[in-house]
Amino acid sequence: MHFIGKDMDQYLSQKDYVDTAVVPLLQLDLSEAGLKSSAGASEYLQSLTAMLEKQFKGRILLFPPVAYTKNADRNRLSDEISSEMEKAGFKHVFYMTTDAEWRSVEELKNVLWLPAIPTEHMDRNFKQSVMEDQLRQVLPLFLKEWS
Amino acid sequence: MSNNRVSRRQFLGYTLTGVGGFMAAGMLMPMVRFAVDPVLQQKGAGDFVLTDQRVEDITEEPVRVDFTFEQTDAWYVSEVTNSAWVYKEGDKLIALSPVCKHLGCTVNWAGDPEHPTQFFCPCHAGRYEKNGQNIAGTPPLGPLDEYLVEEQDGYVAIGAVRPNTLV
Repeated sequence: MHFIGKDMDQYLSQKDYVDTAVVPLLQLDLSEAGLKSSAGASEYLQSLTAMLEKQFKGRILLFPPVAYTKNADRNRLSDEISSEMEKAGFKHVFYMTTDAEWRSVEELKNVLWLPAIPTEHMDRNFKQSVMEDQLRQVLPLFLKEWS
Repeated sequence: MSNNRVSRRQFLGYTLTGVGGFMAAGMLMPMVRFAVDPVLQQKGAGDFVLTDQRVEDITEEPVRVDFTFEQTDAWYVSEVTNSAWVYKEGDKLIALSPVCKHLGCTVNWAGDPEHPTQFFCPCHAGRYEKNGQNIAGTPPLGPLDEYLVEEQDGYVAIGAVRPNTLV
């Protein structure tokens, strides 16, 4: 489910079934050199999580991307988010990101780090198949966590 | 020198008739076009979306067929890709919606190795028969929806979704 008003009604009534949160973590880099790749990573991350949501709509709640800047204190950020997720009662929380810095944040469990693929020049069908390939790598991680 | 010379009067007559004709046509043509417009209006084939799946390649084993259409959500127009599970029953094409009737996950054909002839929902282990009938004891409470489906020039075209008519 998406984090939108309509889905929240369903979420509240089916809380037992929707036990997994997905939080995209997105680094904003607005410097001239980094702007484009940051935007591309954002596009990639959001299409991937949207496809994931479509596949697992009934079990995951997809949150809007948490955006932070390059120098953000990732440890503090992860503490804040994970404690909020815990309060909400999610059994499983996945963080998806293209930002390599998260690999050094030890406390956060289930961080799925994926290298961003620039999809801006691909035509629609090709992009779709590339994203599906990416999705296929992510799905087993969810199934494994759930089983 | 030619004998039948065109007089000044004749020349002006021809010219004015010609130019006047064009002007009249310029005014009348759009009017006529508007008048007959309803007849020329394209009907479209319902709202069927053509896919790139050939009908002859479809067997009794359900295959996933993707189709893309434009969706308008208030001011936001986006291209949406949906899929359907298409198979043949005899000569009849059948397309089932992959949306689980429990909480809306996407179901897969033979997604569970223990039940290779059923649709399987990975979220809460819901299962459906090939015709979309939900299996009692699993979470889903109703059969999978069905798409209207037809053949267009040898390719599968997928239309509106409707409640399952097979079970």
